[in-house]
Amino acid sequence: MTTLDIQVLLPTRAEGVRHGFGHLREVVRAAELGTLSGAVVPFDPDGLESWSVAAAALRDTRWLRVAAEFHPGVSTPVYAAKVAASLQRFSGARFAWRLAVDLDPAVARAHGDFTVGDDRYLRAAEFLQIARGVWGGGKASGPGGVKGEFTFEGKFFDVLDGGFAAPLSLVPFPQVQLTGASPAALDLSARHGDVHIFAPPTLAAAAQLTELATAHGRTVQLGVQLSVLLREDAAELADAPFRDEVDFAGTYAEAADLLRAYAAQGVSTVVFDARPRIEETYRVGEHLRPLLENPVLEGV
Amino acid sequence: MSIDIYWRVGTHGDQPSLRRRTQSRGGFVDVPVPGQLAPGLRDGVPDGYSYADHVADVVRASEAAGFVGGLLPSFPGTDDPWALAASLAQQSRTYRFMVAYQPGFLHPVQAARLTASLQAATGGRIVYNVISGGGGPAQLWWGDKVSHDDRYARTSEFLDVLKGVWAGDFSYEGRFYRVEGAGLPKDLAGQPFPEIYFSGSSPAAIEAAGRHADYYLSWLEPFDALAAKFAQVRTDAAALGRTPRFAVRLDVLARPTEEQAWDEIRRGFENLGPEALRAFEGGGDSVGAARSRGFTGDPSKGYRGLEVAPNVWGGFHLLRGGPVFGLVGSYHQVAQRLDELIGLGVDAFILAGVPHLEEAHRIGENVLPLLARDHDITIP
Repeated sequence: MTTLDIQVLLPTRAEGVRHGFGHLREVVRAAELGTLSGAVVPFDPDGLESWSVAAAALRDTRWLRVAAEFHPGVSTPVYAAKVAASLQRFSGARFAWRLAVDLDPAVARAHGDFTVGDDRYLRAAEFLQIARGVWGGGKASGPGGVKGEFTFEGKFFDVLDGGFAAPLSLVPFPQVQLTGASPAALDLSARHGDVHIFAPPTLAAAAQLTELATAHGRTVQLGVQLSVLLREDAAELADAPFRDEVDFAGTYAEAADLLRAYAAQGVSTVVFDARPRIEETYRVGEHLRPLLENPVLEGV
Repeated sequence: MSIDIYWRVGTHGDQPSLRRRTQSRGGFVDVPVPGQLAPGLRDGVPDGYSYADHVADVVRASEAAGFVGGLLPSFPGTDDPWALAASLAQQSRTYRFMVAYQPGFLHPVQAARLTASLQAATGGRIVYNVISGGGGPAQLWWGDKVSHDDRYARTSEFLDVLKGVWAGDFSYEGRFYRVEGAGLPKDLAGQPFPEIYFSGSSPAAIEAAGRHADYYLSWLEPFDALAAKFAQVRTDAAALGRTPRFAVRLDVLARPTEEQAWDEIRRGFENLGPEALRAFEGGGDSVGAARSRGFTGDPSKGYRGLEVAPNVWGGFHLLRGGPVFGLVGSYHQVAQRLDELIGLGVDAFILAGVPHLEEAHRIGENVLPLLARDHDITIP
């Protein structure tokens, strides 16, 4: 079978006595050494800011793709793209974006964002169009590369003569992950997303998304995000804490079956929310992941 | 107060020297040049290093050489200072990251969260260089249509909101920003708020600086012009009941003897074509850039024609991108001029030299000790 893109959610706030960038480093190292493919820094109003966490995580790893989740009100799309271009340059193009569009209204207002309803999706679409536009707007010239060929007049954002010059323009645009199951969310992904993550992990809207994307001549990869508790056997599982609080509790073999079932429905990305994060990330890397591809050591 | 001495980072790559305007570090070249570094080539293939790896070395060199930190500039063609500071936070111990940014591009709540996270990552080593923009085409390039004087009004409002969010439980409705119930998360509350270095030479900038600046930062200018500018800021700030400190950003080219220093300039100057001599025509609506051009001499009279006062040379922009003025001379002369600037009221310096890594060591070993004989220099 195809190798699944397995990712983990990173901690953004204290978990017991573990906290801060030291804790983060251990989790991303666990994911890296466990040969997982990525990590996601959630937008957490009560936690660390995601760009800074992602930058540190990228610096601590060689292979891991690190997605930072943020909402499109944090900066101009040009500035977000500028930051992203540097992180792509520094990381060998392992940085990704996850846009948080459907914010809780009170959280949004506390972040200076008073845009409501489907306007949020329109703004997110403009954000991505501009970010991609200046990235590929290229041929910037003049002192410091100040005049490019990309102009955009939108409802929320404007750019005149924008466009990055080399070398910022030479790295790939970050992978764009989006979430949500509403018609507006699916439409945004169909037009501008690379990967759509369903959380909760139900695929009821997946067919509709694929259809919409096809209508736009695009392909959007499918992903699920789920909280998990994984153990070697049923007895051990019965003793584990929090088993009723997760989307899925099971043995490594059962988890592998679940992921195969997702894969059969077209899912290529699975994001695990598993705690305590360091230990559980090692479990995923050492026990689950080998079940999902032809084990190299089989029969040895 | 002791004198804080910073060393700038080149966020737009670096040259191997001032002798030729050839970028060899950081991949800021159209065509790979022999000897390019970070990324380098091995058997024709990129070696996997990035400019952040070289900047990490400049950061460590600056720490070792005795600088308190460095300024990370931001322009359309540069790498981003937030991205650099966040990437290198864990790879330094004492280094203060002075992040240059324009308030218009980042929402103040995001700025607060980003800063507080980096304060947590560094143990409080973030410093702000708040710039309100060179304007002109560059401002529109960034997607920002706010006019020159309004940009300073926005900067003021931005910093009000940022400080309010930092303090917590903050609501605000202004011309540019609106927030409701904003604050930092529990884990991030109580971090020290960064010192603010504030740039800008227009009256609108100086007024805004009076309200918010811990340090009023200027490029180097002829000393009498600089003294007059500081006096204006002092007056404006006093009217608001504030006493800002002063900082100067300048290049230094120091060698064991004055002859050796000027010889370095001469070599660079002789390698300039006529086109390069006509450079520095742009600059948007930056008042500071126009001031600097007005103060310097005539390059057609040779490189010494640009020496506006002993050791004060107004031709650095011809030899590398960036501001006009710097000091050229022996270690003793450069230290003496810095001493004179301290006499004018300067409390902090942002020094720079090309190439940044090697020159950090040179200045740290040869100039800082001379300055430390007569002044209380901050030990990082």
